[in-house]
Amino acid sequence: MTQPNVTLRGPDVPNTPGSLDPVFTVEDLSVFYGDYEAVRNVDMMIGRREITAMIGPSGCGKSTVLRCFNRMNDLIPGAHIKGKILYHEEDLYGDHVDPIEVRRRIGMVFQKPNPFPKPIYDNVAYGPRVNGIKKNMDSIVEEALQKAALWDEVKDKLKQNALSLSGGQQQRLCIARAIAVKPEVILMDEPCSALDPIATTKIEDLMQELRQEYTILIVTHNMQQAARVSDRTAFFTADVDDAGVRHGRLVEFDQTTRIFTKPSDKRTEDYITGRFG
Amino acid sequence: MAILSTPRSQVDLVGKGRPLREHLFRIALLSSLAIALIFLALLLAYTLTEGWPRLDSRLWENFPSVRRPETAGVLSGITGTLWIIGLTALMALPTGVLAAIYLEEYADNTRWYNRLIELNIANLAAVPSIVYGILGLGIIARWLDFGFTVMTGAVTISLLVLPIVIISAREAIRAVPPSIREGSLALGATQWQTIYRQVLPASIPGIATGSILALSRAIGEAAPFLMLGAATLVRFNPDGVWSSFTVLPLQIYNLISQSREEFHILAAAAIVVLLAILLLMNSLAIWLRNRYQKRW
Repeated sequence: MTQPNVTLRGPDVPNTPGSLDPVFTVEDLSVFYGDYEAVRNVDMMIGRREITAMIGPSGCGKSTVLRCFNRMNDLIPGAHIKGKILYHEEDLYGDHVDPIEVRRRIGMVFQKPNPFPKPIYDNVAYGPRVNGIKKNMDSIVEEALQKAALWDEVKDKLKQNALSLSGGQQQRLCIARAIAVKPEVILMDEPCSALDPIATTKIEDLMQELRQEYTILIVTHNMQQAARVSDRTAFFTADVDDAGVRHGRLVEFDQTTRIFTKPSDKRTEDYITGRFG
Repeated sequence: MAILSTPRSQVDLVGKGRPLREHLFRIALLSSLAIALIFLALLLAYTLTEGWPRLDSRLWENFPSVRRPETAGVLSGITGTLWIIGLTALMALPTGVLAAIYLEEYADNTRWYNRLIELNIANLAAVPSIVYGILGLGIIARWLDFGFTVMTGAVTISLLVLPIVIISAREAIRAVPPSIREGSLALGATQWQTIYRQVLPASIPGIATGSILALSRAIGEAAPFLMLGAATLVRFNPDGVWSSFTVLPLQIYNLISQSREEFHILAAAAIVVLLAILLLMNSLAIWLRNRYQKRW
């Protein structure tokens, strides 16, 4: 089998998407902003301790879908979903579900690093603190910063304002901040798009480390990044319906190796070979 | 060596002279600014020279008198103003900030009633202060029977500055980037935790600045107090919120209305005191703004 000259991960990933150990099961998910259906009929599964990448052209709804997993879309007035997202067989959008509880288990890292204008220490301690944890804060902070590969760079300046860090460091701080709450899943919304290549490499290496413990979903514009880091890839695109309205759609969801070597859909092939998007 | 495709002799970067209009426009801008500044300076200079002979401790150590201008002062006006402003700050600031938090963080502005509220706050900020005086007189002094006391004055002035406090607090809260709120909520913080621990600390410098400016506007108000019928010849300091009182602008108004020249000098000196309090508060606002300015 001829391989393209990108490093592909995941020889240990089972061959069929059905055989993964699902953390999330997305069933016929549609996302609405008011009356506008932004994303239509998405079905996918997110495997435990895997990295799932979501790629596609701008406006295809990949970030919208990502924000459904921790119910961040709830913050937008008028946003609602149809279909189901099961988190360990629990309906994330069930009546009794508290979005706050959801977000404690499913962390998120944003496109632009958004540390709080506070000391580095307080940034990491913030999550545990709002969740009512008071004991052993020092060790929680140190552990999170270690895991985010930032400890050595900041251990002597924990009291400094987080905004004094470089962009790449700020993003790793945001990852540390998410880890400190001990989530099971980390959602990453284009985490490297505001970073230079060296900082990007660091975050990608870090994702490989985090994969040992966490389930990661990453939205990225960078196909090489998806190919480098992810086990599975979901390719989204936007269709224009008869009325001229754009709707995001999941075109193909498969192991990353397959998506990048023998995609089953023509549109995926066109996108990854750079013929469109 | 032909590095430049254009022959060297043809490269001409010497300016052709900017069009006259550019200069005229600049001059127009500068003169507009100059008008404002020159008149302010003139006003200050005039008041200062006018009031200079009486700008001494007699002014802030004595109570007003209509008989002896040489020993008359405005002590009760100064203390009355401070009482009113202090009490107003206590009442209007928390209320205004909480209202602003509701409007910015909770209100769904696609709802018609929230938009109606917003529109009306902007309208309220434009209502003339004398109207608040009528309101204070009719409702607070008479109907609620608070009488002509510090409390009545402070409640009236609180209502007057409340819309301004709300508007400036909203601006300050809106200036906190949404990414900070998202970051906090994504960590499992509740909405209140996010507001209390992130949004408010980040917006406090802006809120403080706006509030101080709103209060300094209130310091200069005479109209509502005229309506409230606050006495001018108060020969004691307020000893509580139910005490009668007077304020500096009212004293100044009263002094100017006297026929004897000595009282006019006294009025000018009292204006200087009022301006000094105002400048002090405004500098505090500027200091706060610069000291706690946020970089994102």
